[in-house]
Amino acid sequence: MSQKQYWSGPEELNNINANLEVAGDEFKEELPFDLSDSMFGATTPRRDFLKFLGFSTLAATLVASCEMPVRKAIPYAIKPEDIVPGVPNYYASTFVDGGDYCPIVIKTRDGRPIKVEGNDMSSITHGGTSARVQASVLNLYDKARIRHPHADGAEATFDAIDRMVKEGIGGKPGYLVTASILSPTTKEIITQFLAKFPNIKHIVYDAYSYSGMLLANEVCYGKRTLPSYHFDKANTIVSIGADFLGTWIAPIEYAKAYSKGRKISARNIKLSKHYQVEALQTITGGAADERATCKPSEMGAVAVALYNAIANGAQPSLSSPKLNSLVTKAAADLKKGNGLVVGSSNDVNIQTVINAINDSIGANGVTVNWVTTSNYKQGIDKDMADMIAAMEAGTVGSVFMHGVNPVYDYFDNKKFTAALAKVPVTVSFADRMDETAQKCKFVIPDHNYLESWGDAEPKPNYFSLMQPGIAPLFKTRAIQDTLLTWAGATTTYADFWKDYWMKKLGSQEAFDKALQDGIVEPAGEMPNGGVKFAGNVGDAVGKIQAKKGGGAIELVVYQKIAIGHGGAWSNNPWLLEMPDPITRTVWDNYLCVSPKRAKELDAELNGFSEVDTKKRVVTIKGADGYTVNMPVIAVPGMHNDVVAIAVGYGRDAKVGRAAASDATKGGKNAYPFMSFNGLTMEHHSVVTVAKTEDKYEVAVIQTHNSYEARPVVHEYTLEEFKKDPNVLLKERGKEIAEFTHDPWIEEGKEAKEPIIDSNSEEGYREHGTMYPNYPYEGVKWGMSIDLNTCIGCGACVVGCQAENNISVVGKDHALKAHEMHWIRIDRYFSGMPNDPDTIQTVFQPMLCQHCDNAPCENVCPVSATNHSSEGLNQMAYNRCIGTKYCANNCPYKVRHFNWMDWNGADCFADNIYEDGRRDDMNDDLTRMVLNPDVTVRSRGVMEKCTFCVQRLQEAKLAAKKENHPMKDGAAKTACQQACPTDAIMFGNVKDKESNIFKLRKQEQMERTFYVLEHIHTLPNINYLAKIRNTEEIDALDENKNEFLKYHI
Amino acid sequence: MHIKYESFVREPLVDGDKDYHQVSEDIISPIERKPGRMWYVGFIFSLLLLGYGIFSVTWAVYWGLGTWGVNRTVGWGWDITNFVWWIGIGHAGTLISAILLLFRQGWRTGVNRAAEAMTIFAVMCAGQFPIFHMGRVWDGFWVLPLPNTRGTLWPNFDSPLLWDVFAISTYFTVSLLFWYSGLVPDFALIRDRAKTKFRKMAYGIASFGWTGTAKNWQRAEALWLVLAGLSTPLVLSVHTIVSFDFATSVIPGWHTTIFPPYFVAGAVFSGFAMVNTLLVLTRKILHLEEYITIGHLEAMNKIILLTGSIVGVAYLTELFISWYSQSWGEMAAFQWRIMGPYWWSYWAMMSCNVVSPQLFWVKKFRRNVPFTFVMSIVVNIGMWFERFVIIVTSTYRDWVPGSWSYYSPTWPEVGFYLGTFGLFFTCYFLFAKYFPVVAVHEIKFILKTSGDNYKRGMEKIDNQSTEDFIHIATTHHDEEHLLEAPHH
Repeated sequence: MSQKQYWSGPEELNNINANLEVAGDEFKEELPFDLSDSMFGATTPRRDFLKFLGFSTLAATLVASCEMPVRKAIPYAIKPEDIVPGVPNYYASTFVDGGDYCPIVIKTRDGRPIKVEGNDMSSITHGGTSARVQASVLNLYDKARIRHPHADGAEATFDAIDRMVKEGIGGKPGYLVTASILSPTTKEIITQFLAKFPNIKHIVYDAYSYSGMLLANEVCYGKRTLPSYHFDKANTIVSIGADFLGTWIAPIEYAKAYSKGRKISARNIKLSKHYQVEALQTITGGAADERATCKPSEMGAVAVALYNAIANGAQPSLSSPKLNSLVTKAAADLKKGNGLVVGSSNDVNIQTVINAINDSIGANGVTVNWVTTSNYKQGIDKDMADMIAAMEAGTVGSVFMHGVNPVYDYFDNKKFTAALAKVPVTVSFADRMDETAQKCKFVIPDHNYLESWGDAEPKPNYFSLMQPGIAPLFKTRAIQDTLLTWAGATTTYADFWKDYWMKKLGSQEAFDKALQDGIVEPAGEMPNGGVKFAGNVGDAVGKIQAKKGGGAIELVVYQKIAIGHGGAWSNNPWLLEMPDPITRTVWDNYLCVSPKRAKELDAELNGFSEVDTKKRVVTIKGADGYTVNMPVIAVPGMHNDVVAIAVGYGRDAKVGRAAASDATKGGKNAYPFMSFNGLTMEHHSVVTVAKTEDKYEVAVIQTHNSYEARPVVHEYTLEEFKKDPNVLLKERGKEIAEFTHDPWIEEGKEAKEPIIDSNSEEGYREHGTMYPNYPYEGVKWGMSIDLNTCIGCGACVVGCQAENNISVVGKDHALKAHEMHWIRIDRYFSGMPNDPDTIQTVFQPMLCQHCDNAPCENVCPVSATNHSSEGLNQMAYNRCIGTKYCANNCPYKVRHFNWMDWNGADCFADNIYEDGRRDDMNDDLTRMVLNPDVTVRSRGVMEKCTFCVQRLQEAKLAAKKENHPMKDGAAKTACQQACPTDAIMFGNVKDKESNIFKLRKQEQMERTFYVLEHIHTLPNINYLAKIRNTEEIDALDENKNEFLKYHI
Repeated sequence: MHIKYESFVREPLVDGDKDYHQVSEDIISPIERKPGRMWYVGFIFSLLLLGYGIFSVTWAVYWGLGTWGVNRTVGWGWDITNFVWWIGIGHAGTLISAILLLFRQGWRTGVNRAAEAMTIFAVMCAGQFPIFHMGRVWDGFWVLPLPNTRGTLWPNFDSPLLWDVFAISTYFTVSLLFWYSGLVPDFALIRDRAKTKFRKMAYGIASFGWTGTAKNWQRAEALWLVLAGLSTPLVLSVHTIVSFDFATSVIPGWHTTIFPPYFVAGAVFSGFAMVNTLLVLTRKILHLEEYITIGHLEAMNKIILLTGSIVGVAYLTELFISWYSQSWGEMAAFQWRIMGPYWWSYWAMMSCNVVSPQLFWVKKFRRNVPFTFVMSIVVNIGMWFERFVIIVTSTYRDWVPGSWSYYSPTWPEVGFYLGTFGLFFTCYFLFAKYFPVVAVHEIKFILKTSGDNYKRGMEKIDNQSTEDFIHIATTHHDEEHLLEAPHH
């Protein structure tokens, strides 16, 4: 940002030179030294020499003492209303990115948004967030955002552009292309705009579209819309390819609901049953109870087989026995009622069959809601194809594009680019010079959503409002204002919006409340109901069966949880450095293949190759000749004949420094591997893969896949748990019962299978050591993490990063395992690597365990890490000298060292770490995202999870000010708040009324365990064992788990 | 007084026909001459290495330890490996001077000076690593229990790293004093022989006004004995405490009660090997074959054989205990050590440290100079790998598999290590040029009992019958006459 000159008053402003003189003269008064030549003709007498000596020694000491430089601090001259320095303000708003939706609360500090949290009042997301929502605040401060409107590549005024555009629209047909729009006011403004220019047509284009569903629903139910799914009401969930917890339609909503059916305790042994059929390994597949894989081209056959099995009990004859048995079992379960089938295919016929299944099992009106539908996705692929055809024909006079980037993300982007060149008036509303904006005549940047007024209607009658957290940073203009201007309206969008809502809500009070709450929803349960199914199943089945089979190797174009469809996310360093939940890889995209396929490509996954960062590069050639070279990552759980590439990589340099790609970095674009079947886009295609002799370094954060049957993770089948709810307590007993009492006391020894209970836990605390016990009084913090509901989505990782100013290290240092995330999500596989259908996945968030007997604490030579009376393991950064001994002695390896000067916080000049991609993190603009409550750590010190101690202090102080004991839930950690499935619980374990106390001692005693309990670290984080609704857990059996057998 | 008669079974400790003057001449004259070309070549090469090391360290201090390969899981790599390695090497000197002095091992005289010098230089090298492995080295003085203005802020006396600070600094101080006090009479000798003014002055200051009076000798002997007494426990304690860095942790492969004796044995093992490396070179270059004899080398090799075997037993004990404990963490740690991606380091350690020293059972090998030299290098390679195995292959796959990683050094780490060689040899070359590399006064002390020519004079006594010998020994008091050297 600019180096602004601030003046302290008019004197300085008006008489700048005199002031400079004064400022430059450090010693305004005469120095008491005799500097004349009079005495002995010398310069300095002895006494003054001593003074000089003293002064210079002191000066040298001050200069040499290596401490942080003082940076500019600018006080408010006049305090703005509502802003108290140091006190955050919260504004309810709405996150919208195309059809992705999340009601949020913006946390602003001193006038700038620094954090985004979910809005608990929403009955759709219930406060859940995703990694992208958490990271969205960084997009606001993205240095690559364009700062003013452009015409023909040069800066122009809005007036000039308005004039030129209005002249240019003319009478020829034009198109307004947008991503799915949830905003009712925007839709109305578009209607006004289209009324003014009847030659312009509005089409919706979603890069990753759901056209097939929309069209199928139109035929089956007469509504071109998506239903709402109630995963919480489903006892049986069957997903045919849909990654509904990660990327499919509305994962936050679904994850929240899904988790309700996945919570289990010994008092309420009930678990939904989740069947997943998929081509690649997703987190949804990881959460599933039963999982089978097939090629994407076989998804239709699976749907048909399931339909037939339900309709007439037909035995499926699919490509693998596991698929057949899964379909049979799923059909039987679905028939029991409260079933739900979802599918990801963009093929109208497959979606028709899925609709038919949901209809036949009575899901409509129960788990599939056709009364309160969903507006998330509206894009129709054919509209886009038709528009391009028209553009090619040269009949199109103008194209306006908002929230879309077809030059990058349309499968045949060359064709689109060529067609776009034939259109005289092309306008992009992009926030950056993305691939499409570069090809447009005019670029009128829209505000970031955190700078915008707006609203969203994710479901009919369910609204949420959007209000800005900050005034626009740059010369940008809301698209609504632009369209209003062009339509000749004189009102601004802000007024239009307010009028609209005042009218709708009726009164100022209602408006104020709505703005404060952020949501406008009808009271009570969400209206639910079905519609009569009118689809032609027979025809759909026939068409599916008639469709030609796929190829030997099919490629799936998928979305990463972090990067999604691309867009601005491609340039978000937090998301680029968020380890992919499945591959645990950062900063690149790559070809996912099964371990078997990897071996064929000379990229075998074994205990030795897993530590090699150099991965085999292969050439992938699409049917239409599109060819890329990419490194191979072996992903257990991938179908052996399926490969997959994530979209959102391979971006142009102007998208941003982090996104920029070339042969050495930034990945490759996968969109061209999609294809168009004349009606809808297909997200998979047939490719050939050939190995090359090249290698490419890929930063894989987690190298080992098996948890080696260690008591780090505990998992049981539902049957095992039902049969003996104490199964885990017995296992813990085997490890620690011996140490729960003094060795000479016989008590408990006779029990063959001692069961751990609260008493023996206390006994272990006391007798497992020879040192005295610290009596904790007052607050003691504890956390519980439920392995059953953790879906590995990574929202906590990014939430923590945003809250705690965690540095981004870049790919080169990620390659060296120098990443800084305070919370990581370990992902473990079990099963047979060569048989993807056997793969079981566990996600385990791992963060500082805040051990009461912490191995890190006693080894620090300077006591920089120590224990608080509230059970927190705390770091005094200023005291740390960086021996790294604590990190070595941490059994969980959750301490992170500041290996380089990541953020300019150390005392050496010009040694900030730069790699060309992560550097924008240190730009003055981007640094506005930093949380002022959390120290930015300097190079050379250790850091780790603090349990968000700044939040704990705030909660305690607030309770103190209000003069009551702190209420349970008043203090929430960032990871807990970000979690969409409420897998993380946090609170004061000394408070017998707290949820965490009740959970540990009562509700979930049977599932509670501590990682590596036997080494007597006494962690303050407990985990709840994973219970799978399946027949077998393979993790502990070498014969059924080759990950364990071969140690990979 | 020492025993004046020594059996023929013991071979002479000084070869050739030597008298007191010849000893002075042989050992001191290299100091008085201009050094040879090889000295210059070696010295400049060492300085260059040292310069490269300084550059590498500066680089890491300026940019950060991220320039190294150590990471989240493997927090210590070459840095601490090299630290322990150098500290281990630094054990031989004190062991030779102190423990062997107390045990009255005459053969130590030929090698102790060089060994002690090596100790001091090795400890200097070792000390660099814990200092510069700190992320904020400029705040490193916080480990010292200095009174300060930060309230009652003391270092953490529970931390083995702090114990290291005390152990190593004490060891260095005592070793330095011991070494230097032994040098005083020899410096006086150089002073007395000096023909240039500067040399006379320099060595005059260095010799603290030593005049060689009986009182001087008496006090020096007393001091040496006291320092030997002080050093003896230090020899054992330093590496014991270094081993505590690991033994007190909770990491499988580190958390081992066998570490103190195992580390001390390993230290003596590597230290003796390093002494051998240096002696073989020194005796050759400075033509001191008659003072540093094959017999000396053989005695050293015997200790290498002994300590190598102890170390081997320790390795096997570790393996046994990890199996015997039936503790999954322990068993897995050793499994990954032996068969994981770092298998080569374990097997390098095993073959260099356990298998190869066993060749010293063969006398011919023990007395073979080139073989001794090669073996001394092999042992030190093995001992380097031992430390690498302990430090890196314990942490890289520890408790939670999700955190496992791999570690390879980067150029500044390698540069740092090479730099300490530069420091070591720079010091050693200066030592070899300016200091008597063999303790002259100690050689003279044993010359008349263990010198080759004097021992030959024993022949007639040896040929006497036991009764006659007793008769002479109990009645004949003119010892000087008895032991007078034969004239040729």
